[in-house]
Amino acid sequence: MSILANKDTRVVIQGGAAGVNAARRMAEFCYLIKRPLNVEAFVYPPDAGKANEIPYGSGLIAIPIYKTIAEATKHHPTINTTLVYIGADRAMKGGMEALDDPHIKVVSMITEGVPEKDAKLLGTHARKLGKVFNGPSSIGIISAGACRLGVIGGAFDNLVLSKLYREGSFGVITKSGGLSNEIIWICSQFADGITTAIGIGGDAYPGTDYVSYLEMFENDPQTKAVVIVGEMGGDLEERAAEWYGAKKRRVKLIGVVSGFCQESLPKGMKFGHAGAKEGMKGEGSARSKSDALKKSGAIVPPTFGALGPAIKDAYQELLKSGQVKEPIEPAALPRLPKSIEEAMKADEVMVAPLIRTTISDDRGDEPCYDGYPASELINKGYEIPHVIGLLWDKRLISKQEAEIIKRIMMLSADHGPCVSGAYATILAACAGIGLSQAVAAGLIMIGPRFGGAVTDAGRWFKYAVDNKMDVDEFLAYMKKNVGPVPGIGHRVKSLRNPDKRVKELVGYVKSLHIKTPCLDFALAVEQVTATKKDNLILNVDGTMAAVLVDLGFPVDSLNGFFILSRTIGLIGHWVDQKRQDSRLIRLFDYLVNYAAPKRREVPPLK
Amino acid sequence: MAKVLEGPGMGLMKKWGIHVPHYSVVTSADELSKLGHVNEWMKQTKLVAKAHEALGSRFKLGLVKVGLDLNGAVAATKEMIGRQVGSITISQVIVSEMVPHKDEYYCAVKSTREGAEILVANCGGIEVESNWERVKRLCLDVGQTPSSDQLEKLAKDAGFTGPIAKKMAGFAEKMFTCFDNEDAQYLEVNPVVTRESDGELIALDAVTLLDGDAKFRHPEWNFQFAAEFGRAYSKDEVAVMAVDSKIKGSVKFIEIPGGDTAMLPAGGGASVYYSDAVVARGGKLANYAEYSGDPPDWAVEVLTEKVCSLPGIKNIIVGGAIANFTDVKKTFGGIINGFRKAKGDGKLKGVKIWVRRGGPREKEGLDAMRALKDEGFDIHVFDRNTPLTDIVDKALQK
Repeated sequence: MSILANKDTRVVIQGGAAGVNAARRMAEFCYLIKRPLNVEAFVYPPDAGKANEIPYGSGLIAIPIYKTIAEATKHHPTINTTLVYIGADRAMKGGMEALDDPHIKVVSMITEGVPEKDAKLLGTHARKLGKVFNGPSSIGIISAGACRLGVIGGAFDNLVLSKLYREGSFGVITKSGGLSNEIIWICSQFADGITTAIGIGGDAYPGTDYVSYLEMFENDPQTKAVVIVGEMGGDLEERAAEWYGAKKRRVKLIGVVSGFCQESLPKGMKFGHAGAKEGMKGEGSARSKSDALKKSGAIVPPTFGALGPAIKDAYQELLKSGQVKEPIEPAALPRLPKSIEEAMKADEVMVAPLIRTTISDDRGDEPCYDGYPASELINKGYEIPHVIGLLWDKRLISKQEAEIIKRIMMLSADHGPCVSGAYATILAACAGIGLSQAVAAGLIMIGPRFGGAVTDAGRWFKYAVDNKMDVDEFLAYMKKNVGPVPGIGHRVKSLRNPDKRVKELVGYVKSLHIKTPCLDFALAVEQVTATKKDNLILNVDGTMAAVLVDLGFPVDSLNGFFILSRTIGLIGHWVDQKRQDSRLIRLFDYLVNYAAPKRREVPPLK
Repeated sequence: MAKVLEGPGMGLMKKWGIHVPHYSVVTSADELSKLGHVNEWMKQTKLVAKAHEALGSRFKLGLVKVGLDLNGAVAATKEMIGRQVGSITISQVIVSEMVPHKDEYYCAVKSTREGAEILVANCGGIEVESNWERVKRLCLDVGQTPSSDQLEKLAKDAGFTGPIAKKMAGFAEKMFTCFDNEDAQYLEVNPVVTRESDGELIALDAVTLLDGDAKFRHPEWNFQFAAEFGRAYSKDEVAVMAVDSKIKGSVKFIEIPGGDTAMLPAGGGASVYYSDAVVARGGKLANYAEYSGDPPDWAVEVLTEKVCSLPGIKNIIVGGAIANFTDVKKTFGGIINGFRKAKGDGKLKGVKIWVRRGGPREKEGLDAMRALKDEGFDIHVFDRNTPLTDIVDKALQK
C-alpha cells in the first residue's frame, strides 16, 4: 500500500519540455517495476494535436498532447492526477483548470516562484473540493513499487540503489527536493525502504502540509514510520508535532529540522527556501520546531547525520516486535537499455558506419580541414585557395599555387548577364525565387555547352601528355574517338581578337618558370587548330584545365573551379535583381519563332 | 520576500489612498534646494531628513535628522550623501514633512497560511513593542475581503472609541486593499498618527515587504528591492544575483564577514543542513551559497569563483544530497573550472576542499573532482555512502 500515488494513478502532465523530461523519468520507473507507462496525456496548447514520444525500455510511446485538461480527460477518462510544469505566471490558471476537472483528484505543482497568494488560493480551492493540491515547488511524489510522479527519485541507477522497485515501511515528507532523495536512500540503507515519499515544496505556504499527509500515512497499514525533514519558518512542523502529540498514533514519527545556524548569524539573514524565514518574535525557529517535535514524542536526532542510525533503531524495533519482516529482494531487475552512444562508450556494441569521410571533421570545438584546425590556418596566413587545396585534393598547396588558383577564380567569377548561368539566375530572381534555388538554377546550366568543359579538357590534354602523343596524333585520336577537342574554340574570340583572360593567365603562369607540360601541349594544339579555323583557339576552360592539371589537381575536381568561381557571380546577379525589385520576365512574342501548326479543330474523342 | 525602501513603500500606500506625509527622495543637496523653490510644503513645515538606504539603526549613526527647516535639510543632505557606512555609500536621502501629532497608533497586515491578518493597536512607536498584548487581530481567508463591520469591531476591540474607531477601521481597510493588490507579504505602519491640522490618520513610518515572485504582474514596480539584513549587497553578491536572474535553476550567495568555512553546497534544503553542521561543530561560516535546479555550468563557475575569493577561508564545503535531476558531472565541471581559475589567480593557498555528492552522473562528477588532486588541490572526495554532513565533521575536527 501507499498514499496519494499508487498503481491506479493515471497522469496528465501540464507543460512543455520540463514535463516531457518528467515523463521520461516516470517511464524509467514504470519500466523498472514492469508496469505500463502511467502518463496518459500532456496538456500544452502550443503543441496541441501533436504527440510527445517517450522512451520506454527500448521502444517509444507516443503520448498525445491536448489543448485543455477537459479534452485530455474526455479522451482518457482514467486520468485522476496532474503534474503542473507550467511557468509561474500561468501556474495558477493551469492549477485551477485541473482542480475544476471532475476526473482529477490530485494536483502536484512543480513550478517554482509561484506568488504566495496564488498558492494559497489554489490550496484553499482544493480543500473546498476535497482534493489534494501538492506544492508549488514540489519535486514530486513516489510510491515504491507502484507509482512515480515527477522526477523525484533521480536517475535510474538511484532508483535501483534506493530499492524503489519494492515497498518498504517508511513514509517520507520533505520540503526539499534534494533531501527527499537523500532520505529515500537513507531509508533503503538503514531500514527496508519507503512506502511513499512526498516533496511538499519549500515555499512559505505549501498547498498541503505535513498533517494532512501524516493522517494519510496513519491510515496506510503498510507505513510503520514517517520521516519528516523540516526547515525553520512557518509553523508546519509545530502543527505536525501537535498532531503527533494529540493522541496515540500507530506510526512512529522521526523528524529533523534545519536552521539552527540562524542563531549565530546576523539578524535578518535568510537562507534556503522561500519558506525558510523566522518570524519576528522567534516563532518558527529551528529550535522551537525541534523542541515541539521532541515534546510530542517524536524521535528527533540531534543532527542530520544522526538520522540514519535513528531510522535504523526504529526499524530494528519494528522487526523485533514483528510489525515488519525482512524484505525479499527480487531475483533480477530489468536493466535500462543503453542508448547507442552509451553502449559504444562502454565498448558494448560495434556499429558499421553509414558513410566514410577523408577530408574534414568538426566534432571538436572547430572544424579541421584535412586535420588542420581552421583557426590555425587563418592565424598562420593561409587563404581560401589553401582550403580548396585541402578539401579538394587533401594537400597544403604552396603560396605560388594559391596565387594561380586565386587568379583563376577572379577571372571566372562572372561573365555578364547574358550567358546561360547568369540568365537563368536572373530569370529565377525575377520570378521571386529565393537565393539558393535561383543560384542552383544558374548552376544547373553548367554543362557541356556552358562552363562545364574544364574537366573534359583537362582529361584529354592529360591523356595526351601521359601517353606522350604529339599534336597531330592527338587531334586524329580525338576526331576518331571523341569529337571536337574540349577547351578549344570560342564563339566570338579568335587569334586576331584573343581572349584577354587566357592571355593574362597564360602570361602569369609562364612568368613563374614552372613545369607546365599540359599547358604547353594545349598551346601547341591551339597553334594547329587556329590555322585550320580562326576561332579554334584555346579558350578559358581549356587554359584553366591545363594549368590545374599541371598543378596536380584531380581531373574530376576541375569543373569545381568554374562552379565555385561562377557562384560568386550568380549570387551577385540574384542580389542585384532583388535590390532592384525587378519585375517578372516574360518573353515577347516577337522573340519567338512560332513554328507550331496553325490553329485547327479538335476531332471528337475516339 | 522582498523589502522595499521607504520612498517606494510610501508611494504604494499613497496609491491606495493612505495618507502619507509629503516626501521627496533626492540624490544631492542641490536637487533638494531646487525642489524647495517649487514645493511649498518644504518651506512651510519642519522637515525630517533620513538616509534612504537599507541600513539598520540609522538614528544611532546620525543618519536621521529631525526638526529641520529647508536650509537645515539641505545641509543634512549634503552631509549624508556620499558617506560610507560599512559597505554602503549613501546615495539617496528622503526628506519628508514632520507631522505635528499627539497620539500614535499601530496598524499592520501580515500574510498567514490561511490568508492574511490585520493587526491594530491604539498605541504606537516603541510603546507597541512592549505592549504586544494590546495588538488585536482580524484573520481573513485568502480571497476574503474584510467588511466595515469587522474592521470597526477590530478597532473597538483594540480600544478605539468614538469617531476615531471608524477612522482607524477605514485606515485598516486601505492598508488591506494595498496589501492585497500589491502582492505584499507584510505591511506595517508604526506609528499611525492623527494630524493635528485636520484630524486625518497619517502613515508616518512604514515597513513594506512584497512578494518578489509576483513581480511579473506588477510592471509598475519600478523600484529595486533592498537587502533585508541591514546592509547593502556586496559587489560579488550582486554579481551572483545577476547571474541567478538569467538562468534556469538558481545560484545564491551571501557573504558573512569574519568566517573561515566557505560553503558551496547544492540544494536549498541540504545547504542549510550543511550550515547547521558547521555551526554545530563550532565553525564559523564565511558565507551562504547554494546552487540548485540543474543550473548551467558557467553559472556554478561564477559562484565558485566568488566563494574562492572569500578572505581568510580554510575549508570549502562542496556538499550536496543525492540530486534528482541536477547533472553532477556538469555542475561539478563548473566548480572545477572555478577552482582552477581561482588557483591560477593565486587563491586557495592552504585551503582544504571537501566534497560529498550523489545524483545523475555522480561517478563521473566525483572522479573529475578526485582528479584535481593531481593538479595540486588539497581535495577530499566522498560519495553517497558517506552521510550528508560528515564532510563538515571531517573538515572541522581538530
